[in-house]
Amino acid sequence: VRPYAPIEIAVPVVAATLIAGVYLVAVIDRVVAALVAGRSVSWSSALLGPVRSAAFLLVQQRMVTERSDAPGWTLAPALFAGLAAVALALVPLDSGRVAADPATGFVVFSAAIAMVMIAVYLHGWSPNSPFALHGAYRYSAQALSFQIPFLLAMLATAIPAESLSIVDIVEAQESVWNVVRTPLGLPLYLVVGVGVSFWGPLNLPEGADLADGGSLEDSGVARLSWTVARYAMLVAVAAMGAAGFLGGWWGPWLPGAAWVIVKTLVLLVVLIASGHLLARVRIESFVVFAWVILIPLALFNVFLSGAFLL
Amino acid sequence: VVLSSVIGRLAAGADARVFAVAGSGASEAVRDLRLADGLRLVDTPRAADVLLVAGGIPPALAEPLARVHDALAHPRATVFWMPGVPPPDLVAALSAPTIVTDDDGIVPAVRRAHRELMTGERVSEPPVLPDEDAVPWRGVGPYGQGGSGMTGGTPYGRPMAELGADRDGLRLDVLPLSVGPFFPRFPSGLVLDLKMAGDVVVEAVARDNPFAEEARRPTPGLQPFLRALSQPVAIAELEVARARHHLRWLADALLAHQLGSLGVRVLRLATTLTPDDAEAVERLARTLTFTQVLRWSTGGVGRLSPDLLAGLGAGPVARASGLAEDARMDDASYGALGFEPIALVEGDTATRWRLRLAEAIQSLDLARRAGDLRTEQVGRVEGPRGTLEPGSSPTERLMAIVPRSIEGLEWGDAVAVLTSLDLSLDEAAAARVPAAARGVA
Repeated sequence: VRPYAPIEIAVPVVAATLIAGVYLVAVIDRVVAALVAGRSVSWSSALLGPVRSAAFLLVQQRMVTERSDAPGWTLAPALFAGLAAVALALVPLDSGRVAADPATGFVVFSAAIAMVMIAVYLHGWSPNSPFALHGAYRYSAQALSFQIPFLLAMLATAIPAESLSIVDIVEAQESVWNVVRTPLGLPLYLVVGVGVSFWGPLNLPEGADLADGGSLEDSGVARLSWTVARYAMLVAVAAMGAAGFLGGWWGPWLPGAAWVIVKTLVLLVVLIASGHLLARVRIESFVVFAWVILIPLALFNVFLSGAFLL
Repeated sequence: VVLSSVIGRLAAGADARVFAVAGSGASEAVRDLRLADGLRLVDTPRAADVLLVAGGIPPALAEPLARVHDALAHPRATVFWMPGVPPPDLVAALSAPTIVTDDDGIVPAVRRAHRELMTGERVSEPPVLPDEDAVPWRGVGPYGQGGSGMTGGTPYGRPMAELGADRDGLRLDVLPLSVGPFFPRFPSGLVLDLKMAGDVVVEAVARDNPFAEEARRPTPGLQPFLRALSQPVAIAELEVARARHHLRWLADALLAHQLGSLGVRVLRLATTLTPDDAEAVERLARTLTFTQVLRWSTGGVGRLSPDLLAGLGAGPVARASGLAEDARMDDASYGALGFEPIALVEGDTATRWRLRLAEAIQSLDLARRAGDLRTEQVGRVEGPRGTLEPGSSPTERLMAIVPRSIEGLEWGDAVAVLTSLDLSLDEAAAARVPAAARGVA
C-alpha cells in the first residue's frame, strides 16, 4: 500500500503550493520582461505588481458575449486549474512526503496533460467569437502533435525506475539524474512543457496574431481565473520536470524540499524566459517538427534509457 | 466594504490597461506609449479600462470606434488625444470625456482616469450604441436560432460557413470574417473582408481607405520626407529619420511575433537614435538571430516575386525581392556620397526584416558622412516605405497586392506578411493631399 497524505493536509498543501507558484510565475515574468526590455527592475513593482493586477481584474466587470456558453466559460478555468493541481499533487516534495503517490502516477500525470486540451477548447469555444474559437482549434492541433513525444519523454524516466510511480522515478535517480542518463529527455520535455501550457514560442492559441485568441473576450474574474490556471499549469510542468529529470529531492547540503523548490524555480525561469526570448513558431512547421523530429528523437531517448538497464 | 476599498486601492496602483485607437497622425505617438511607465497597451478592448482615441478619426471610423468603446468592460473611461484635430462624434456621446491636446498630457491623463475609475471617483461610461444584436437572429427560422435550412441564415448571430475550394483541391467550409479597422496587428484603419478555410486565408478583399478624406497630419517621423518633396532637406536628417522609422517598425513587428519586451528595447533605441548608434543596431541584429524570428517565424514565408512588385516603388519591400529601385539613386547628392541601394533576392518575410536592418545601418552611415549635404531632387523622394511623390504613396500602391500576398497563407503567416509590408493608411492619405493643403512649411 502506497502512502497517501490525509486529504485534510493534501488539499491545502497542494492549493497553497499552487497559489505560491502562480505568484512566483507572475513575479519572475515581470522581472524577465523588464530585463529584456532594458527597464530597471523595481522590486516593489515586481513583488506588488501581480497583486495589483489581480485586484484590477477583481474590480473589472465580467463581460459576456452574444449567445455565449456560460457554464463552459465558467468551468474551463476550473478544469484547467484542477488538472494543474492533479499534476502537482503527484510531485514529491521530499523523500516520503507527497500528496498522492499512486502506482500509476505517470499515467495520472499524462492523463491530466491530455485533458488540458478539453479545458482550452472549451474556453475558446464558449464566447461564440471567431478568434477565440480559432485559438481553441490551434491548441487541439498542437496538443495532438506534442502528446506522443511528451509521453515518450516521460516514459524514458520510468524505465530506469522500473515503475510508473513518480516517487520511484525520483528514488531511482539517487546516483545519476535522468538529465545525465538520458540527455535528450529534459530538452524534449521542456519543448513539450512550453506547448502544454501554451507559453512563449508555442503560445499559438492566445497568440499576438489573434489578439489574445482564446482569452480575447475574457475580462474581470474570467481573465483572472484563466491566467491563474495557466500559470498553475506552468508550475506543475516545472515541478514534474524537476522530479522526472533533475533528481527531485536528491542533492547535497540542502534538505530535500529545498532542492525540489530550487530545481522547480530553475525550470520555471527557463520556461518563462522562453516567452520573452524566442519568437512565436508557425503552427504548421511546429506540427511537422513534432511528428517528424520530436517523436523519433523521443523514441531514441527511450531506447537509450532502456540500454542503460541492460 | 473595507475589503473592496483595499482592492480598489491596489487596483489603482496597477498599470492602466489601455486599448489605443490611432487616428491620423497618431500611430507613432501611440506606439511610443509602450515606453511609458504606469500603463500597458493591450490587444483587446475586453482587457482594457481606458480607451485612448488619438489623432483624427474620420467619419467612416466613427461607428467602429463606438463599437470598440462599448466592448470595454466596466469600469471604463475614454481619453481623447486631439492635437489640433476636431474631436470625433464619440465625444458628444459621453457625459464627461477627457480631452488632451498636448503630447505630454497623455500619460498623466490616462493614469488619472484609471486611478479614479478604480477608486470609484469616476463613474463608468455607459454604452453609446443601443444594446442590440449585430445581426438579427432571435426568433428567426424554424427553431428560433436564426438559421434556415442546412447552412442558411445567421444562427446565434454568427454567419455560417459556406462551401469553397481549399488548397488541397477539396470543397470544405469557408467562413466569412471581417478584421479591422482597429485590429492591433493591422495598420490603423485597414479592414479586410476575409474568407477563411480553417486557418487558411482563401480570399481577402481590402475595404477603402477610411482616412482618404481626412488625414492632413502626417506622423512626425514622415514629415522630413514630405518636406523633401518640395525643398532640399539635409541628408543627415532624412537618413536618421529613415533609420528611426525602420527601428520603430521593427518594434511593432517584434510584438507581432510575441517578442514585445525586446520590442520595447528596440523602441527606446529608435527614439534616441543618433548617427553614431550603428553598432547598437548591429548588436540588435545579433540578438534577433538568437530569438529565431528570422528563421522559424518568418523564413520562407510570403515570398513576393519581383514581377509583382516591379514599378510599384515599394521601397524596402521591392528591394527585398531583388529590385534595386530607389529614388535616392537619381539624386546627385546621394551620388556624391557613393550611395548604392541594398538589394536582397529571396523576397520572403525574413528578407524584408533583414533588409530594413541593413538599411538602418546604411542610413546611419550615410547620415554620419553627409555633413551639411542637402538633397537636390525635389518632387520625388525615397521615403522609409518607398517612393513618395505628390499625390502618391507606397502604401497606396502596395494595397493592390495585399490580397495576393496573403491569400493561401495561414492566419499567423498572413499577419507576419502584412506586418512586413509596413503599410500606413494615413500616410497614403497624407501624401494624396497636396502639400499646400497639408500646411507643410
